[in-house]
Formats: sequence, C-alpha cells, structure tokens
Amino acid sequence: MPNLKELKNRISSVKSTRKITSAMKMVAASKLRRAQELAESSRVYADSLSFILSSLAGNTKNSADLPEILTGRENSKISLLIINSSDRGLCGGFNSNLFRNAKKWISDQQGQGKSVKIMTVGKKASSFYKKTDLDIVASFEDLNSNDRQLQVSEEIKNKIMELFENNEIDEVSILFNKFVSAISQEPTYQSLIPLSNEETSEDESEANIAVFEFEPDKNELLEYLVPRNFLTQIYRSVLESSASEHAARMTSMDNATRNAGDMIDRLTLTYNRTRQAFITKELIEIISGAEAV
Amino acid sequence: MINLKVVSPQKVIFEKEVEMAVLPGAEGDFAAMPNHSPFISSLRPGQMAIMSSNKVDESFFVSGGLVMLKEKVCEVLVDQIEPLSDVNSSNYQQSKTYQELEGNETALGTFEQVVNNPPYK
Repeated sequence: MPNLKELKNRISSVKSTRKITSAMKMVAASKLRRAQELAESSRVYADSLSFILSSLAGNTKNSADLPEILTGRENSKISLLIINSSDRGLCGGFNSNLFRNAKKWISDQQGQGKSVKIMTVGKKASSFYKKTDLDIVASFEDLNSNDRQLQVSEEIKNKIMELFENNEIDEVSILFNKFVSAISQEPTYQSLIPLSNEETSEDESEANIAVFEFEPDKNELLEYLVPRNFLTQIYRSVLESSASEHAARMTSMDNATRNAGDMIDRLTLTYNRTRQAFITKELIEIISGAEAV
Repeated sequence: MINLKVVSPQKVIFEKEVEMAVLPGAEGDFAAMPNHSPFISSLRPGQMAIMSSNKVDESFFVSGGLVMLKEKVCEVLVDQIEPLSDVNSSNYQQSKTYQELEGNETALGTFEQVVNNPPYK
C-alpha cells in the first residue's frame, strides 16, 4: 500500500511544477505578442528593400554585370549554414526539429561534394554543434535580452561579408523556424548568396514596368544595397525565429500544465483511496477488537 | 499631395500626405513632389524637410538610407531618423542619435552641422 505522506509530498511537488509551467506559459504568451508585432512591422522595410533590389537587378540584363556576392560563385565548394536556435530550453521540439533538419541539409550538401561550415545563433545551437566535428566559424548568443537583435544581425552580416571576400565561403544559407501560427512553426531555409528569387519574382513584372532612374549609378547603389539586404534578411529571420520560439514555448508549457493537472487528479484519487483504505482497516481492527472482549 | 512613407528596419515611422519633401540624395538634395519620374537613390546623412507653400513644416535628421520615388508615393528607407525639434542645439551631444552615430564620422559631422545650422529653415 502506498505511503500517505509520500503521496502528499508528490502532489504538492506536482502542484508547484504546474504553477511554474503555467507562469511560463503566460510569460511566453505576452512575449509572443511583442515578438510577433516586431516581426510584422519589420516586414515593410524588408519588402521595399527586396523590391528595390529586384528592380535594380532586373534592370541589369546581363547577369555577368552583377557582383559575385549577388549571383554566387560558379563552382561553389564551401557552404555556410547559419542556424537560428533559441538561448533557452523548455520550448518543445523547437530546437531538435531544427537540428534534425540541418543534419539532412548538411549531408545533402556533402553528397554534392561541398564542404559545410556552420554559424550558430543562440546557446542551444552552439552547445549542440560543439559536440559534432563540423567547422563552426562563429557563434552568437543572448539575442533577446536588451533588444540586441539588430546589433547581432549587423555582426553576422559583417562576418559573412568578410568570409565571402576572403574566399572562405562560396554560398550562404540561413535556417530558422518560420512563424506560421501560434501552434505551428516550420524550419525554413533561405539562401543569401546567391540571392534567392522566390520573393522577388512576384514583384518582377511590376518592377519591369516602372523604369526607374538610379542615382548614383547602379553599381554604387548595389554596393550599398547588398549588405543592407543581408542585414534585413538576417534580422528578419532572427525576429521570425524569436516569435516562433515564444510560440513553441507557449504550446509546450500549455501541454505541460495540462499534464500536471491530469497527474494531480490521478494522484489525488490514489491518495483518497489509500486514506479510505486505512480508515476501513482501522475500523475493522476496532470492531474485531471489541468483538473479542 | 504625395504620400510620404518613412520606414526603419524595425517599423513604419510615419506615413502621411505632404506637399513636398526635400531629401538629402547621394548626389545632391532633391525635392519629392507628385508626378516625379520613377527614381531610386541612396541618401547621404543630412536634413529631411517636409514643406508646404515654401515653408518648412517639419524637419528631421536622417543618417542615411534609400529612397524610392513613384508617381504618388515616396518611400524612404532610413537607417536612423530623429525629429530636429527633439534635439537641443546647445547640448545635442547628449542626444541618443549622437551616441548611436559615434564612430560614423561623416554622419556625426553632418548631424552637428544640421542641428546647429539646418540648411532648410
């Protein structure tokens, strides 16, 4: 028969766990709202920038005129993958999904004869990839405190520009959890070098109609625009990832709170049954004692 | 009237109808008015002035960016922007923009100039 005292302790410990998880859920929900607003309001800038870039690139008919950093190198051998993870745990499958996906991508790239370098964002990715034998070029941590997202994005941008110019990398992709809704996040790749056309293709027809004049000339403008575009894309992925993180934490903490509730119900039932069994046993003892007299 | 939309990487700062906006283009200041030919330019650090009937209504400092001008829309993508009325010319060195521009000498120099003696008054 289970010990009553033990059961009581168990119930109170699960109760305090439930308090913690439900508090974390609330915190994640309010952070999510903020992160989501930020991610949405930053889209205007990113969309305009990619529109300008596509009208500029669309205007230059001969793609050989475009700088290497936009079109990518012909025989690319080394790919860089930027992995956007979280700094903290307790957010369900947020990080493990990402790492599983990255593993597949890396072996794909290696199958094509390319070598892969890694840049990690967030503590979880850096501690995970430290254990593997992959080449980590840089790690960035602690993004979400004090609104460091933009600053860190700038550092990442500078790093990849430097690596590309030194011929240490030929391609750059960024992996992050795209925020689809509060209950669904999707690991997504975005190619930075060469520049992916996915988003710009819709605008292209419109961009070709309006023939813009450029000042200063296109090359100078591109020189300014390309790093800006990297920064915006990185910044956007960081924001998306942070919104996804809070959403993932919210759902997983909601589940945890519910599980704790179920567990408390079950334990309380066992506790009451055990207590009753004790009382019945004692009564039987008393009665049989009285009968014996 | 032309629709002036000022956007920073974080958010849309403001959007409104204006008669004319003077912007510090990379190769010289220019005025954005309705029916301007489609035009894309980068910005140098300087003053952005919103004007109506030859008077400056509002004045801003921009640290650089891009502008896309279409028939009725003027979209300004800025790095940093601050209303000049928020900066006190006697102690502008304490302002947030000043501190953020530290290290960017051209922008910082222009900021000092613009605050102490804006080209459009």
